[in-house]
Amino acid sequence: MIPELVDPVVWSDIKNQIDGDFGQGVTQKVLADLVPVMLERNENQSIYLIPNDWVRSLNMDFEGFTLSSLGTWLGDLSDGRFRLSIAILDQIARYTDRQLVVSRRGAESFTYGRSILRASVVKLTPTLKRRQRVIVKDTRGDCIGLAALSVDASRIDRLGPEKLVAKNLVDIGWYIRRFG
Amino acid sequence: MAIKRERELAKRLAKEYGYLPYMIERYLALWGEEETREFLEACERPIRTAIRVNTLKAEVEEVIGRLKDKGVKLERIPWLPEGFWAEFDELSPGALTEHMLGFYYIQGVPSMTVTRVLDPQPGEIVMDLAAAPGGKTTHVAQLMRNEGIVVAIEQDRLRLGSLKSNVYRCGVTNAIILRGDARKVRQLGIVPDRILLDAPCSGEGLIPIDPSRKTSKKMPDIRFCATVEDELLDAAVDVLAPGGTMVYATCSIAPEENEYIVDAILGRHPEMRVASIDQEFGSPGYTNPYGIEMNNSLSLARRFLPHRHGTEGFFICKLVKEGDDQ
Repeated sequence: MIPELVDPVVWSDIKNQIDGDFGQGVTQKVLADLVPVMLERNENQSIYLIPNDWVRSLNMDFEGFTLSSLGTWLGDLSDGRFRLSIAILDQIARYTDRQLVVSRRGAESFTYGRSILRASVVKLTPTLKRRQRVIVKDTRGDCIGLAALSVDASRIDRLGPEKLVAKNLVDIGWYIRRFG
Repeated sequence: MAIKRERELAKRLAKEYGYLPYMIERYLALWGEEETREFLEACERPIRTAIRVNTLKAEVEEVIGRLKDKGVKLERIPWLPEGFWAEFDELSPGALTEHMLGFYYIQGVPSMTVTRVLDPQPGEIVMDLAAAPGGKTTHVAQLMRNEGIVVAIEQDRLRLGSLKSNVYRCGVTNAIILRGDARKVRQLGIVPDRILLDAPCSGEGLIPIDPSRKTSKKMPDIRFCATVEDELLDAAVDVLAPGGTMVYATCSIAPEENEYIVDAILGRHPEMRVASIDQEFGSPGYTNPYGIEMNNSLSLARRFLPHRHGTEGFFICKLVKEGDDQ
């Protein structure tokens, strides 16, 4: 398996998706002086960010070995859809205000893979709309995952405490659940 | 008569502590009766949990504060600036938010010592030849401050998953992870400045953690492991840069997997020599195990032993390759 530079058209789609979700220019800030590369995995592709001076190693065939990961894991492309990796959220969180802060109990529940109920919401950027992807943080400011809003932020005050506010897309408990 | 008496004693101790007799015979030959009994008793006691604070994700003092707030008792490990013995009591060390955030890694004291002995530097090319589950790979990246390259090799597909998970959790961004047989590392054409080889072994040092090891391996298993270890170390020596440093380690207390292997390498590779270890821990490597004369420099290697150091058993040997630094 040999990594390839990401096709400019594909990269443009990924950039538009990230910037659309988290704000114009966020992708470039995360990318900084790194280079996006792609590894084929069956039907899917994984996207990684690597330093410029690693690019020459792309020509290595890693004879007898299979390249499994390199640099920073940005996310995966599957069926034309790009999904951010858990590993990159911390960096995205530095550059976006599209965030949802949850209570201690809510954070604990979220890191067990559960979604976010109204009772757990401590703070939510008020202008955000339904389906918006948000960085989920606990009250200490730690980035604990990614969620998609189920309602407009302006409507959450009308919800009962057990009503769904945001669906869990990925959380830091993945590290433990997936591989123990 | 003495041999017969020793065999009978070995049988008796093996029965009393639940071991295969051949293991006790070897311990008696290495240490004598009194130290063997100390070892067997120590293996009945649990090993203290230890953590390594991951400074790629958080400052040491911040992590100490957060864990203390949760009731975790911490004690510094003298020779490891980021290492702590930790008492979690009712808490599960792997389930805390700080663990999921990658602020710390639950790791045995000898394992974190191995990486400190290797002393990887920012900007270097470092290889970890048996990398899963990633404790040492992530520690190497931490000491390199994510600058340079750590090439992490693992053969086992399932274990590769945990390696990747830990690399991502700990915020490592300078790792290239390869799946394959590290004995074929010459094919890569990479010339690393440092190599860490914590070789797959019989695990004879892990008896305090895994009592099933008392009966699960026989002498042919140890010989098989020793053959693989020898091949791995040979391949590592070949690719190491002139002037480069490597650490050979195992979680086995068997001289057959440790001093024997390094002694053979020193015989075949005059460009290699055993180097002294700066940190103060453990006890010296053996130069005369079972009465077999070995290279005297093996006393510079270090051993962790359950009955002497309260840790799992481990062997750590630092080797350097003669030649100009690249």
